[in-house]
Amino acid sequence: MCDTFHVTTAPSTERTRLTHSLVLLLPAVLFGLLVSVQWRTQAERNELTVRYNTPLLDAAKSLQNEQNALKVTLAELRAQLDQIQTSASTQSDAAKDLQSRIDGLKTVAGLNERTGDGVEIILDDARGAAAAKDVEKSICHNTDLTDIVNQAWRGGAEAIAINEERIVGSSSIYCVGSTIMVNGTLMSPPFKVLVIGPQNELLATYDDPTQLRDIKQRRDIYGLGFRVSRATGLHLPPYRGALNVRFATPR
Amino acid sequence: MRSNAGVISVTIVALFLGLLAVTQIAAQDVYSRSLQLETPASLTTLIANLSERNNAIKDEILDLRHRTETAREAIAGGKGSLTEAERQLSQLRVFAGMSATSGAGIMVRVEGTFDERALSDLVNELRNAGAEAIAVNTVRVGPRSWFGATADRALTVDSVAVRGPWQVRAVGSPEVMYVAMTRTGGIIGQFELIYKGTRFDVSRESALDLPALATPLR
Repeated sequence: MCDTFHVTTAPSTERTRLTHSLVLLLPAVLFGLLVSVQWRTQAERNELTVRYNTPLLDAAKSLQNEQNALKVTLAELRAQLDQIQTSASTQSDAAKDLQSRIDGLKTVAGLNERTGDGVEIILDDARGAAAAKDVEKSICHNTDLTDIVNQAWRGGAEAIAINEERIVGSSSIYCVGSTIMVNGTLMSPPFKVLVIGPQNELLATYDDPTQLRDIKQRRDIYGLGFRVSRATGLHLPPYRGALNVRFATPR
Repeated sequence: MRSNAGVISVTIVALFLGLLAVTQIAAQDVYSRSLQLETPASLTTLIANLSERNNAIKDEILDLRHRTETAREAIAGGKGSLTEAERQLSQLRVFAGMSATSGAGIMVRVEGTFDERALSDLVNELRNAGAEAIAVNTVRVGPRSWFGATADRALTVDSVAVRGPWQVRAVGSPEVMYVAMTRTGGIIGQFELIYKGTRFDVSRESALDLPALATPLR
């Protein structure tokens, strides 16, 4: 029986061994590949971080913290000056008229808080497998934000803020490397764009298939995060940066 | 037994594989960016940008402290604060685009193919370089301005058609804006690569006169 067994099962054992080897081959190759990619990724980042980036990173973070503190001081000083002028404006009709015009201009220029209904737009980098197809097309760029803001003004927006930074006449949405700055403030995705204005017109302008075609295409193909929804009771902060009027004089 | 051992081996390898795949995806999270992934060159540019912004805020803080003190003294002396109010009003009228504005700056002249997204990017770049007031041809760009295009290839600013060649004029520091526009790898360089055949000229201007917004903001 045993001989017979050995004689009859020998080829079968070989086949089983071969099958096991083949089954393990593919995972083993993938395993090796992933280990090496992982090792290289870590090695590159560590080298950069240790040699150059750490002090620069600290400097950038420190400047951003300084900016946050400076903005608080600026807001306090603006409030103090407002208070002085408001109390002085009771002294004469001319002063009262001037103060009223200043308040009106501050509101339209984005220097006052604003509350109201409108839309909320979320823009975010793609996540998951679809993102790996094309990194450039699956992440959000500053130009996506400028397009979204342009579209909001087109749709009749009265006030816009991106991640708590109010968009005003001097605002810029700037990109360095892969970091985005709005009003000089460092930001990273997801971006929440709050827009106060006529809801139906705003929703219609974002739904318009002829507008924001690039963003919509990247959402559909690469999974870029882009969604627009109706929002009520929005609260937008005032612009907290410098007014920076030095070269320009009114005529 | 041998078959069981095979299954266990494959399971262990598969587990490691899964673990590594997840780690790799998380590590490569390009896609969730952070400052730590920036190159030293990018970080240096970011630092320069942050420093400029912070210096502008510091200047304004100094200016506001002085103005607050002056206004207090004027009120205490029975003079009221009309001077400060008038100063603030004229500053806000420029900031909101509500008054015609003069000053030094730069002009970017564009002749050839151009589009509304590029115009929007150019205005964004000028603002980042510190432009205090901007106009496209004879149309003032305001805080809520938007850019579009017409079927006959004109561009629009707040629905008003502006036809090429376009003159984008910006009041602000001529030197800072000129360098920001013309630097290697800057926006004009990028435009020249994208819009081949279109001519871009940037010039420093000692005196520009920009109109006010045609429709006042409400």
